[in-house]
Amino acid sequence: MIWGGMDFFDTGLALSLTALGLGLGAKALSWLRLTIAPGPPPGMAARLSALARSLVRNLAPHRAARWGRALVMDGLLQRRIAGNGVERWLMHLAIFAGFMGLLIMHGLDELTSERWFAGYAPALDPYQWLRNLFGVLTLGGLAVAVWRRRMLPRVRRTTGAQDWALIALLGGIMISGLGLEAAKIISPQVFDSMVEQYLGTDDEAEINDLRLLWSEEYGVIFLMPPPHSDEALAQGREAHEGSCVYCHSRPTSAFVSYPLAKTMAPLGDALNNLRADLLFYYLHVGLCFLGLALLPWGKFMHPLSAPLNLTLRQGRTSSDTGTKPPALAAVLRPLGLDACTHCGACSEHCSVAPAFLALGTPDILPSEKLSSLKRHAAARLRGPALRAFAEGSQICTECLRCTTLCPSGIDLQDLWMQSRTRLRETGPGEPHLVLAQRPLRDWAATFRSLPPARVEAARSVKLCDNRASFWGCIQCTTCTSVCPVVAASQAPARELDLTPQQIMNMLRMGLKEEALGAEMVWSCVTCYKCQENCPQGVRVADVLYELRTLAWARLREHPEAWAETGATAGTGHATGGERSVETGRDAWSAARGDHAARAMSRTADAPTIQPMPSTLAGTQPEPETKGDEA
Amino acid sequence: MSYAYFPGCKIPHHLPAYGQAVTALCAALDIGLTPLEFNCCGEPLRHRSFEAWAQSAGRNLALAQQAGLAIMTPCKCCFGSLKHAAYWLRENRELRSLVASTLAEEGLVLPEEPQVLHLLTVLDRDLQPDELAARAGERLCGLRVAAHYGCHALRPGNVTNFDDPLNPSVFERLLRRVGAMPVPWALRLECCGHPLRGKRDKLSLALKARKLIDARDAGAHLLVTACTYCQMQFAQQDENQTSPPLDTAIAQQVTAPEARDTQAQGSPTVDANDDQPGARPWPSAATQLAEDQPQGAMPPAMLAAQLIGLGIGLSPEELGLTELPAPLVHPSSLGHEG
Repeated sequence: MIWGGMDFFDTGLALSLTALGLGLGAKALSWLRLTIAPGPPPGMAARLSALARSLVRNLAPHRAARWGRALVMDGLLQRRIAGNGVERWLMHLAIFAGFMGLLIMHGLDELTSERWFAGYAPALDPYQWLRNLFGVLTLGGLAVAVWRRRMLPRVRRTTGAQDWALIALLGGIMISGLGLEAAKIISPQVFDSMVEQYLGTDDEAEINDLRLLWSEEYGVIFLMPPPHSDEALAQGREAHEGSCVYCHSRPTSAFVSYPLAKTMAPLGDALNNLRADLLFYYLHVGLCFLGLALLPWGKFMHPLSAPLNLTLRQGRTSSDTGTKPPALAAVLRPLGLDACTHCGACSEHCSVAPAFLALGTPDILPSEKLSSLKRHAAARLRGPALRAFAEGSQICTECLRCTTLCPSGIDLQDLWMQSRTRLRETGPGEPHLVLAQRPLRDWAATFRSLPPARVEAARSVKLCDNRASFWGCIQCTTCTSVCPVVAASQAPARELDLTPQQIMNMLRMGLKEEALGAEMVWSCVTCYKCQENCPQGVRVADVLYELRTLAWARLREHPEAWAETGATAGTGHATGGERSVETGRDAWSAARGDHAARAMSRTADAPTIQPMPSTLAGTQPEPETKGDEA
Repeated sequence: MSYAYFPGCKIPHHLPAYGQAVTALCAALDIGLTPLEFNCCGEPLRHRSFEAWAQSAGRNLALAQQAGLAIMTPCKCCFGSLKHAAYWLRENRELRSLVASTLAEEGLVLPEEPQVLHLLTVLDRDLQPDELAARAGERLCGLRVAAHYGCHALRPGNVTNFDDPLNPSVFERLLRRVGAMPVPWALRLECCGHPLRGKRDKLSLALKARKLIDARDAGAHLLVTACTYCQMQFAQQDENQTSPPLDTAIAQQVTAPEARDTQAQGSPTVDANDDQPGARPWPSAATQLAEDQPQGAMPPAMLAAQLIGLGIGLSPEELGLTELPAPLVHPSSLGHEG
């Protein structure tokens, strides 16, 4: 930039480069620190040395060929975006090609074009024309992106502020750039300053002739344009060919900004008075600096992190991070997280997306769950956000589809499996495990104290609350005697709380809350033998399914009833004491111990229900606390 | 006949061999499989939310309807979930209109009569009984197998319409057609225990152990499954988990690599007195194998699609059997050429 605002440019560049450097440093550090997998996380030194070893190994020619190919095919040609549809690939390639073209030819021209092309000048053709072409390409791609994110329901549902911010930033840079070009075309101030620098004369007549030419053929809008005469025009052209032609082609090749300048013409004087050229300059350059500073953050980082991740994945679409050395995998996982462009392809095709429609938890969708996983890995996820993440994590069926589709090549399958296992250690657990945390009598008291869940009243099939469901039950115990869970249990009365036929009886008596937490309900294998064999046609297994959904609906709507409290480690007591879910690991291993203690305590009074809060007598530690092994 | 192929969620990552076996078997038998982008069958959601389950399962039924195809799934749990959905969406108008209205937003329509079939039914129904037998020859002759039915296809019979829920026969019928010898065993209709995996592990393993012991005591060389989850349950080696108290030592023997290695080396060498190459190693190999088994060892599990595929002459590699540590599938012991 040879014109105007030097201080602004230098200061802005220094600031944004500093922000960029600091941000990238923080990111690199986070790859060495964030924890996604369960178990003790590998230290920084271990991760660094694993990374170094891997890099050295990958210099071998046959390996280098593989990642080199991935860099070209997946990084540059974006083959994996094409796998998600040609229109998507065209959209992204337009943005990518346009933006990179501008960045290389125009943004970094002091380092590139000026060195590569003899006689380069920004306002010469073909550079002037190319700048318009690249700008239009980018804007066209962005327009498709906006259309997709607004009009396609599956894309719209995962579109967030950051997606709009990136589109707005890129669009802003492009539009301000075209505006800047147009404002410079019409600006007499820019003309005057150029004349002063390059014409080499201050002969007012000669300058006036040049003004005439630039007014008629180059679009400058002077406050008082010189009167037309063929002779003056010829004089002006002579001066032009002496001084200007080396750097200026006619602006007509700027096929967007020149028509834009023409459109602005009626307001030209006003714009020139406002110094629109300077305003656009500050806007354009300022937005570029902003982009530079934002580059290490969120999806703004994907131009760096996605190609890096794609190269590291070497074209694989399966899940293999789990097979790598733990220290290396520990680096690759957070790096993969940062490669997310939030394009939403995973969520568009997610196998459990219908569950999102029914339950409304955004974290069921992989693109949203990934953001939560980032925060979970940094131990910054708490309360409702943590529970939502756990729900999304548990509902995922690990079907590999998102991993196969991800244009950034993120090994999502591995991320989901690892974080899910980690959640099992730290909590919140899935319904079956939450319900194992306390004895039946505690749950009975809890469920009685909770109002019915909203979905409970709204459900379309109601078996439990309909006494006709149990009308036929004659307590013949067929269901219990065919139950494989009862058969596998050494002592069903204390291990399972209630047998299937007892549960039917309790529901018949309207004691639903007393049954919701029964171990039999949560140990049901859903084999349907009870229901198949019932001589009276009672839907025993369907009822047990429904009891689980009802219990979970209540606890889901009232997390305060379970999430923040847990069993005290090792004692078998279920207490109401405050316990952070972050320390849930202890709660979890304790819960298993509690389960055994609870079973023992029940030898005396099982299987009757005592509607009172419990302080359990049994304090024997569980002989095999499996939770401690991991 | 052509079907909309519904592999279910677990096949792509957790049991790719099953997908490979089903695809290879169906290709060999001219059963057309059209891949559609189905979503989860809903089964895992049934513990959480009836509506989320119905939404999930119902969408699959609508997708198949849109493609004008019947669904064929190799997974009993997917099958059961889809059949349950078809049942409840027929029985309950309120649920049907709820699901239908959500599906309508993406232009999908719930079918009046959803067609959902399990792989075993398709093999039984679409193929001439002689066809399998003719193609199978005597490859599996003498192999005693315990057919594990899997709960979710079988029961409740009025919902799944899979077979007689109290005395099913389709699985054994198919196995007999390819020349294997199904053994009668008491627990053939019982649960494998997988639904409690990660939820009540001890119970899950106890259920699995009971079945394996029963199959072994019935003289089975092999436990045959036709469900992704059942196979995952029986094939999983539970090193990190407490073995069921009854049979810890035995279970360890089954999963110990050295035990398998000796078996693998043992089986091909015993077919000395054969004059029909390719067909006969089995009776002697299987007998030898049974004798070679350590006292009390559990039968390994294999997918029906794999066993039937082996029976009709497909290679272990085609059927995804490259990584399964099953001595029984050694090509030479099956008389498979190449």
